[in-house]
Amino acid sequence: MDAWWQCEVPYPFVPQEVLNAADSVRASLPNRYCDPKVAADLFEEVIDEFLLCDDLGLNVLAIEHHAGINSLLGANPLLVGILARQTRQVRILSLGTLISVRKDPVRVAEEYATADVISRGRLEIGFVKSGGTEMASANANPVNNVERYWEAIDLIKKALSHHDGPFSWEGKHFAHRHVNIWPRPWQQPHPRMWSATGDPETAAEVGRRGMVHVLVLRGPEGTRRAYAAHRKARAEAGLPKVTTDNFAYAAFVYVGDTDEEGRRVGEKLLWFLHTSLKSAPQYSKFLPGSAPPHAAPQVYRTAPTSGAAAPVSLANAEKGVASAGHNAARLQSITAEEATAQGIFFAGNPDTVYKQVMEFYDKVGGFGHLSLVGRSGFMTHAESEKGIRLFSKEVLPRLREIKPVTVD
Amino acid sequence: MANASGSALAERLSVGGIELEVVRRGTGRPLLLLHGAQTVDPRARFLDLLGAHAEIIVPSHPGFGHSPRPADFETVYDLVHFYLEVLEALPHEKVTLLGLSFGGWLAAEVAVKCRHRLDGLILVDAFGIKISDRETPDILDVFNTSPQEVRRRSWHDPEAWAPDFNALSDDQLVVRARNWEALCLYGWHPYMYNPQLKRWLRRITIPTLVLWGASDGIVTPSYGRAYGELIPGSRFGLIERAGHHPEIEQAEAFVDAVVKFLNR
Repeated sequence: MDAWWQCEVPYPFVPQEVLNAADSVRASLPNRYCDPKVAADLFEEVIDEFLLCDDLGLNVLAIEHHAGINSLLGANPLLVGILARQTRQVRILSLGTLISVRKDPVRVAEEYATADVISRGRLEIGFVKSGGTEMASANANPVNNVERYWEAIDLIKKALSHHDGPFSWEGKHFAHRHVNIWPRPWQQPHPRMWSATGDPETAAEVGRRGMVHVLVLRGPEGTRRAYAAHRKARAEAGLPKVTTDNFAYAAFVYVGDTDEEGRRVGEKLLWFLHTSLKSAPQYSKFLPGSAPPHAAPQVYRTAPTSGAAAPVSLANAEKGVASAGHNAARLQSITAEEATAQGIFFAGNPDTVYKQVMEFYDKVGGFGHLSLVGRSGFMTHAESEKGIRLFSKEVLPRLREIKPVTVD
Repeated sequence: MANASGSALAERLSVGGIELEVVRRGTGRPLLLLHGAQTVDPRARFLDLLGAHAEIIVPSHPGFGHSPRPADFETVYDLVHFYLEVLEALPHEKVTLLGLSFGGWLAAEVAVKCRHRLDGLILVDAFGIKISDRETPDILDVFNTSPQEVRRRSWHDPEAWAPDFNALSDDQLVVRARNWEALCLYGWHPYMYNPQLKRWLRRITIPTLVLWGASDGIVTPSYGRAYGELIPGSRFGLIERAGHHPEIEQAEAFVDAVVKFLNR
């Protein structure tokens, strides 16, 4: 198993009364609450943490989220470019530029090819579907988001792997009549590609394309279902079986010297759920396309009706989309114990964390990549670095011994 | 009424291979009504009032209500060309075209293209053009504004008229969600207007009435007046104590204004 460390560079320093009064801490919170001097310190610390990972042989992962306290990484390619130059040995996963909200996939391909060359072939390219507040921030139509997602991936892949002069692309969502990027990527035909998704339809397409399939904070049931959809789609398409190397999982992870320290410090990561998920209904439950129309009776009503069907579960902690109101409320008040029981929070001493990871591994049928959602909320730089060191020295070597296996 | 579902009250209209849900009411001069963000409730009072003076045909746009949306149908121009086909398919030589809100945008586009099948145009709190400067939106961004604010700005008297989702049937809520999704697909960008339409409104030479709810906070009466000024010879009428849906909040005044126009 391989492991990847990430930090979303959240900005927790907005006064609580401001957050309480805001209907959303993403998309619409005025940026006057973001002090650029504080942000600069944050970036400096977090980039140092990424470089520590490089020293310790722990791969790094850069995400993207827009316009909120949950993340200052609105410009993923900038961080990826810095990591491409400043790290020297580990692999770098961009997960990723939000392609369905970017107008020009060819530009994205240029950025990725450049980072791959600068890093001399250490880049991996991940795609996330985006959603929720990102649609407002990027002026992106939420209804045909998934269509744009796949078309952008197709175009980026072709731009990275086509080397015979300009080609033309006149697709449904993107038109670019003269595509010929320089430099071409270091890795041939292109860096490995990942996709983050939990919904079965997209999971099936990820499977058919043979991408690394990553689930973020989905818990065992949702993760197992998505991996199964991936494998089933491959089998139905007559494609060869994949190994656990095709599957990845991202959770909050913190390792301390003791269980007490691991949990006490690790619990600070849950700020992400408790505080940074708050999203106004227009960006979540009423966002067109976020829930199928047949789910409307559960989404629209605020009072239960007698004899109503069980609420449709549409929670997605990573994006802050929780189409059923009670799911959002549940995540925002989740305790550390509940988060561990639900397989989204692995914390304790090295033995405990290893055990929690492997229990989850067994529940979902195995995976080859663990992504650590590290430093969040008010966790300090020192605490973050301690967790990175302990994980890299005490847990990672044991995870590395778990070799890819084919699972039916 | 025992059956709260709109579908049971609707008929179908088949045009160009698309089966539309359609509400029909009344007899007299034919009037094709293009609905706004929400489909027209077959029990709406204005339908009965207007039905005493005109034959009203109210299709649900493809993707709205219970009308299917063909997979390759996703721009306003698909709707506009589709309604040009509808005009040709209707047995009437000429109809009056009435468009509410988003449907007003469609009606203006259709009227620019097809004067010979229309004997009159009525735009009610219509979308479709850009009037103000680049930093002043004319039309409230209903997708990026809090639902409470959208509700407040939609009605003169929200307490009396805004729908209570807890009181709607499952079918009505599913229809609302379909309408919301279709509106977003068609109208997201540029948001609820065609940058070129303003240039061509002068082609609308048929008699035109521009009607506006005086309290409309989605798109204001001043926008309505500017819209009217771009259509040669049009008349502008304000309906007091009504927001974005004067046909619902002031059904009598709305129908009076429409009938007066029909009998001009």
